[in-house]
Amino acid sequence: MDPSSMNSPELQNLLAPYDSWILGKLLDAGGKVATSVKLYLTSVIEYFQQEKQKAMISEMISKLTSACWDKCITGSPGSKFSSSEANCLTNCAQRYMDMSLIIMKRLQQ
Amino acid sequence: MDSFSSPSSGSSPKFSTDDIMSQLRTQLEQAYAEEFLETVRGKCFDKCITKPGSSLSGSESSCISRCVDRYIEATGIIGKALFNQR
Repeated sequence: MDPSSMNSPELQNLLAPYDSWILGKLLDAGGKVATSVKLYLTSVIEYFQQEKQKAMISEMISKLTSACWDKCITGSPGSKFSSSEANCLTNCAQRYMDMSLIIMKRLQQ
Repeated sequence: MDSFSSPSSGSSPKFSTDDIMSQLRTQLEQAYAEEFLETVRGKCFDKCITKPGSSLSGSESSCISRCVDRYIEATGIIGKALFNQR
């Protein structure tokens, strides 16, 4: 992260809520300490945003697998999926996403 | 990030962000594993143990094994379907 990006408006907006409480606790030695903390906080924030994203994706896969299993695997589990079972699972996930899009569009009207 | 974990004063830090982040990762992984286990238990019980007897029959046991394998496979299929749009 290069110091010249420190003054970007995006970064300032991202860090604005943290400015008052953390900077209030620091001795501002020519702005250098505050800058280091901002750099540090930015990477922490990015890390948590990535983890949150990963968690949401995991949750979606988990829910969809459960729902699509119920819809598609009707008999007793075999030693492998039939092609119709496998296709059903794939279709199930993709139709769910299609449906999700329709719902969002509908709610925006 | 590591340069912010230990204060230059030399005293041992009460916490480091690296520790917190790795604890978070571990706890998340444990939570997922538990949730997955609970789901597989439910699904396979429904599919394989239709009339509980006084012990697990051979066919019930093998059904359970297949069920676990298939459920894991299904998870992979769903994951691929979501991120490999045709």
